[in-house]
Amino acid sequence: MSRRDLVKDVLWMLFTAGFVAAIIRFIRGLGATTNLSDATPWGLWIGFDVIAGVALAAGGFTLAATVHIFHLEKYRPLLRPAILTAFLGYMAVIVGLTVDLGVPWNIWRPAVNWQHHSVLFEVAWCVMLYTAVLGLEFLPAAFEHPIFKSRVFQTIAHWLKRLTLPLVIAGIVLSTLHQSSLGSLLLIMPFRVHELWYSPILPVLFFVSAAGLGLMMVTLEGFFSAFVYRRRIELELFSGLGKAAAVVLWVLLGIRIGDLVWRGVLPGAIDGSWQSVLFLAEVSISTLIPAVLLSIPASRNSLRGLGTASVLTVSGMILNRLSASVIAVERPAGATYFPNWVEFAISIGIVSGAALVFLFFTENLKIFGPETMHEEEKLSPYAKPRFEPLTKVRLGEAFRDTVARRSAMLIVVVALAITFMPQRAWTADQTKRAPVRPVQGLNVLRINGNGNEAFVDFDHKAHIERQSELIPTVYATEQDMCVRCHHLSNWEIDGVSTPEIDGTSKSETGFGPPSCGACHSDMYNPTSTFDHKLHVALVEPGGNESCDKCHEGGHSANTAIQCVECHKNMGPGEDGQPFDYIAPSYEDAMHGLCIECHEAEAQKLNKPLLPSCVTCHHED
Amino acid sequence: MKPAILTDVTKCIGCEKCVEACVKVNNLGEYKPGAEPRVQEVGDGLSARRWTAVVSKPGQHFVRKQCRHCLDPACVSACPVGAMQKTAEGPITYDKAICMGCRYCIMACPFGIPRYDWAAAVPYVNKCTLCYTRLREGKLPGCVEVCPTEATIFGDRDELMAEAARRLRAEPKKYVPHIYGEHEVGGTSVLYISDIGLDFLNYKNPLPEEPVPDRTWAVMRHVPSVAVGMTVLSGGLYWVIERRMRMARLRAEEEGRRRAEKQKR
Repeated sequence: MSRRDLVKDVLWMLFTAGFVAAIIRFIRGLGATTNLSDATPWGLWIGFDVIAGVALAAGGFTLAATVHIFHLEKYRPLLRPAILTAFLGYMAVIVGLTVDLGVPWNIWRPAVNWQHHSVLFEVAWCVMLYTAVLGLEFLPAAFEHPIFKSRVFQTIAHWLKRLTLPLVIAGIVLSTLHQSSLGSLLLIMPFRVHELWYSPILPVLFFVSAAGLGLMMVTLEGFFSAFVYRRRIELELFSGLGKAAAVVLWVLLGIRIGDLVWRGVLPGAIDGSWQSVLFLAEVSISTLIPAVLLSIPASRNSLRGLGTASVLTVSGMILNRLSASVIAVERPAGATYFPNWVEFAISIGIVSGAALVFLFFTENLKIFGPETMHEEEKLSPYAKPRFEPLTKVRLGEAFRDTVARRSAMLIVVVALAITFMPQRAWTADQTKRAPVRPVQGLNVLRINGNGNEAFVDFDHKAHIERQSELIPTVYATEQDMCVRCHHLSNWEIDGVSTPEIDGTSKSETGFGPPSCGACHSDMYNPTSTFDHKLHVALVEPGGNESCDKCHEGGHSANTAIQCVECHKNMGPGEDGQPFDYIAPSYEDAMHGLCIECHEAEAQKLNKPLLPSCVTCHHED
Repeated sequence: MKPAILTDVTKCIGCEKCVEACVKVNNLGEYKPGAEPRVQEVGDGLSARRWTAVVSKPGQHFVRKQCRHCLDPACVSACPVGAMQKTAEGPITYDKAICMGCRYCIMACPFGIPRYDWAAAVPYVNKCTLCYTRLREGKLPGCVEVCPTEATIFGDRDELMAEAARRLRAEPKKYVPHIYGEHEVGGTSVLYISDIGLDFLNYKNPLPEEPVPDRTWAVMRHVPSVAVGMTVLSGGLYWVIERRMRMARLRAEEEGRRRAEKQKR
């Protein structure tokens, strides 16, 4: 298999995975399929697909300016790939935004409902217009294909070529506006964006870095296509771009350091906090190291030096945009964010899809100069099909093979995507699962179910002493008293001795009764406690003849008998009410146990504050 | 009249009647204390189905959290389609029909108030509207109407400011000498006086006194001039370079011709 096919197969699989994930995201909603929350309303999709995506597509306007405004004609061979990359980049941004929007069918709203104070409104308009401009700039190249040979298309192409200069200028103006505005976008959230990235001159920083990044992105994309098609790299041209990029990157570095000093946050950049480490890494990868590499003629003129510099700039700038808008933003205490695989899959899928379309165009249109193409890989839509002279079998006709191979991949990827979809994407209850933290301590229990370190300190020993005084008036026996809270512990269940039944629980907590979280396993949501496997093992180890002990007729949940028919003593309360195997949430269980008694005691003792929240939840 | 709410933290007993009333008048589903499925991770009690919440603080202090209805609101300035609207009277309302769901308002709020309905397949932004529709009908906001201790009262912002100042003057030892919401981010319609510091209501401290939207408007107002400037700059550069190259070419041709003539002679 050729390198080209291999690359395309990989891209195809990544695209398919993203596509499946996107379908499920649209059906089930953002909360069910992503790790976004009120603590992180903007995640990977806005940070990477939109904010970084627009910056990555900046090569279109920088190259157009180089060739058309500065008349540097020798760079013309790089212009078409740059325009195409930019066009597909903006399409990818629009697709990414559509996936991220909560109400995606309202994406056209900024066109009608104007709100000119909003930076996002301006960005929306510029992206809309600039995508159209890029499309018009690219159209003449598309119309070179033989299928567009009719007069109409040729006339349109002719007029579009005559309009090149106005289109290029419009492109430069629109790019200047929205590349900088993506920085201004963050200006209204001074309380979220970390001070190392938040600066009143964010628009300037974003614009300058986009200009430098655009040049390096064109380089990277040239290297990518050279790798895929074994194309000869236009090294002289790329090192020329590198030289210009070096100047831009040094200027950018100067502005960034000057900005830190001027705002007086320079100490914060070197204080060793994780944000400062991130900041230094981001600046080094995106700006400093590439600037150095591109300033040394020997490395600038070498494939390795240029390639390294472009990879570093591109990944570093992505890190820069992500740090400013997602990674280093201020979050409420205890909240964290890391994208789940659905978010990654969709982001990667969009990029892969754009890359596939890019390869399709390079194979069917004159994007790169034909003289740079490798002889064996030379792809021309204008070439007639070749046939094997003896057998007359068409050569290079791998179409059917490819379809078969890609279909097989599609099936595998769809199956994998569905298998690994987060559990909450399928459950009717779309709320996030919040696992319960076990209690700490022995005599005084530190209860910290939701892990926010706001402990409720429960004096278990004193509680037992107080409650013991109520035997036999309220509780008949000591066991009666304990099971009030520990409903499943320390008494025999239908002849099965406790240690055996509690075996699982004991290993979990190490000692004593099972932790409350074993059954009330979700902080805020009711959860099922029924363990079918455990029951099978207990009722008939290793066999299934005794299914009918619980199941009448077929083997399904519908035919099972009620728990209480066997577990006669099982009950959360003193009146032995039947035990339902849907356990209330940990929060409800704890509140239910405590507040009820506290309220009763409050009445009795005339202490009105006893049932209030702060009696147990005190911040200290 | 500028509708406003004054909450006196010293009078709140934490009964959460306001929360219950809010849930009822805004049709936010069933009200069950402590049973709200909390999909958010912010932990202050607010969510898509709780537009107000009572935050307990050590020492029997209860602080009701709700939208502050800023005089110059960041959410309204951020919204690209105008779904967040500051009404003529002052309360900030939300029009879900035109919302794209970009969540820029949530990111922009200096108090971290708007919440997204993450559990829904088609989610919308949720926040207190100061019961704007009830106000239009001449009713009080739901929370104010039920408050048993008058810890939260409704009125004209100027009058409530005066009332707050009067209470601070009358019992200076009892209160923190500050009306929360008087100057923060340009002033808010929901005001607080308290015997404990209320900085925890802000997303991040310190909260500046100038309105947040000023920060983006400082850039946005230059958009037309940048557009015109860039057009002139790139057009001008094109023209200058084009002309220079043409002149150079002409000069070279002239030179060539002259040389040819010289040789001929």
